[in-house]
Amino acid sequence: MSSPDTILDVQDLNVRFPVFGGIIPRKTSEVHAVDGVSLTLGRGETIGLVGESGCGKTTVGRAIVNILRPMNYRVDVTGRVLYHRNGQVVDLASQGQASMRRYRADLQMVFQDPYSSLNPRMTVGAMIEEPLTIHTSQSKAERRDRVRWLLDKVGLSPSHASRFPHEFSGGQRQRVGIARALATNPKIVIADEPVSALDVSVQAQVVNLMQDIQQEFGLSYIFISHDLSVVRHVSDRIFVMYLGNIVEAGPADEIYRRPAHPYSQMLLAAVPRPGPDARRTRRVRLREEPEPSGVAHPVVDDLPSPLNKPSGCAFRTRCPIARPDCADSAPPLVERDGRQVACPYTT
Amino acid sequence: MTATQPLLQIRGLRTHFSTESGVAKAVDGLDLDVRPGEVLGLVGESGSGKSVTALSILRLIPDPPGHIAAGEIWFQGRDLLTLSWRDIRRIRGKEISMIFQEPMTSLNPVFTIGRQVMEMILTHEPATSRDQARSRSIQILTEVGIPDPATRMDQYPHELSGGMRQRVMIAIALVLNPSLLIADEPTTALDVTIQAQILDLMLELKARRAGGAILLITHNLAVVAETCDRVAVMYGGKIQEVAPVRDLYRNPLHPYTRGLLASLPRVDGERATRLTTIPGSVPDIHNMPTGCKFSTRCAERFEPCDSIEPPLVEVAPDHLVRCHLHEAPPGTPAHQPASAHDV
Repeated sequence: MSSPDTILDVQDLNVRFPVFGGIIPRKTSEVHAVDGVSLTLGRGETIGLVGESGCGKTTVGRAIVNILRPMNYRVDVTGRVLYHRNGQVVDLASQGQASMRRYRADLQMVFQDPYSSLNPRMTVGAMIEEPLTIHTSQSKAERRDRVRWLLDKVGLSPSHASRFPHEFSGGQRQRVGIARALATNPKIVIADEPVSALDVSVQAQVVNLMQDIQQEFGLSYIFISHDLSVVRHVSDRIFVMYLGNIVEAGPADEIYRRPAHPYSQMLLAAVPRPGPDARRTRRVRLREEPEPSGVAHPVVDDLPSPLNKPSGCAFRTRCPIARPDCADSAPPLVERDGRQVACPYTT
Repeated sequence: MTATQPLLQIRGLRTHFSTESGVAKAVDGLDLDVRPGEVLGLVGESGSGKSVTALSILRLIPDPPGHIAAGEIWFQGRDLLTLSWRDIRRIRGKEISMIFQEPMTSLNPVFTIGRQVMEMILTHEPATSRDQARSRSIQILTEVGIPDPATRMDQYPHELSGGMRQRVMIAIALVLNPSLLIADEPTTALDVTIQAQILDLMLELKARRAGGAILLITHNLAVVAETCDRVAVMYGGKIQEVAPVRDLYRNPLHPYTRGLLASLPRVDGERATRLTTIPGSVPDIHNMPTGCKFSTRCAERFEPCDSIEPPLVEVAPDHLVRCHLHEAPPGTPAHQPASAHDV
């Protein structure tokens, strides 16, 4: 589904992490963290990747920027990450670390934790300058100017350049992280839970900042988060992930208005809503859980371990409409109602 | 006093911490009532003092560096702050129990689940036999929805998922039928589907046991809207607004409350093109403004706000706010006497 406006086209991405066990460690099994994920990202578009912890959303982000191998050389990554750049198409997944460097400036990341993603011993200015030293041939004076300009863009003052991370609040640190990501004029920014660690009143400031910057620089965002309200606010299209698979993908407004996959339905139903008449009614009901009778009702509330992924449709162990044949084969993503859904039985 | 005698009354609580950069007044003059049978939400951002309030109630503030500088906390006719350590230990777990955010770290990793549930019973009711304690433990684990509780009794915390661990924490907290449960961010570390189940469970258990109250501490205004009867909003170590949940969401009065509610992205309804924000960030705890604590960020600040801290006044039935924009209707006395027990 590649259109002229596509900037990134991920095809059949698979990531497997080996699991070692025994006294003399040897590979005993593997975690199939990302299982055949395909997605596209348009120029200037924001796509949201949502799902519970362990669903593989972070791994997808890391696979796209090709940093899984440096993190764990035994990881097995297959599939294609096609990056459309100046009329050419490059498969980022097949690049070695040396040749990948050429594209790193174009793909930047913003991380969740503004406390641990900044070096406590470097000044903010030095940290924002570092990617410029690596990726550009600018002179020292040019780089300094650019740092001041970037600080101003993210709502900090140029005088902040000489300060250290501990002198900043969480929201300010996340602004620093954004400034650093912007330093090399990227085309794509992968933001992994960028506002999850921030207080409510500061979260809105950072979300607005990211949207302003996107408009000004024509950026494409991959926004990874478990917070469905924030994802809805920023995303044009969303991809719902469950245990390494995309179970539903489509325009954000459509999916939020009428989720089709039983997992999307369950996820959205679980989100608490603020408001005067939000009084809780029991909305999330899982399989093997009878009607509330006033006494015990055991629940299967957990994401199954990715080590023991259920056969067939991975969601069937928690699915309220599962049938016996759901265990046989994994349902493919099928086009319906202007979106893609991986469930043949949902209505 | 009327029939609605509060279960817990906090008056003028000040909990301070000595740090290298001076005294941090984490809680600085807090008045709050928890009524029997209600779910009271205590909301605020990090650093607002909500967790310190909870720890102060059970006298769990690490001393040093912290200490309770002033105040009274009345519970069942006694001021918890004047009790001996022996007496307060009798109240912890039995009369007032607490669950914490991290189900990972609140259970002891080297003891079985069963031993940790039974410990609660055997400590507070030493006359109980081990067999009785065991069967009561299995029963409470069943009630909180742990499948196959007899087997789970002999397992260790690492063998359980995060949601299951939080269920075990709830079981431990409720096994002795306390009249007050303090839940400090009980679902923050959990995925949204598990969060929904834990909240459902807490409300169901509460409904089944008459009279028990819950003090739910959270930063999540949506969780509060769905679970609480009343809400208290904290900022800068003080209560800024208290109201029944409907009033608070329908008619928030304090500029801070209004700002918080406006800044939430919505999962349903119309999608806003831009989020409303509260400018600035929470002031440094060592440099709190002298007047209204929110004055440095407030768009509606006017002359008295910088210098004079407004009192908490009842501006509508059961709706209290601490803001110069809202004055008490003429003729009403100031909200609370210095000590609730000077009746």
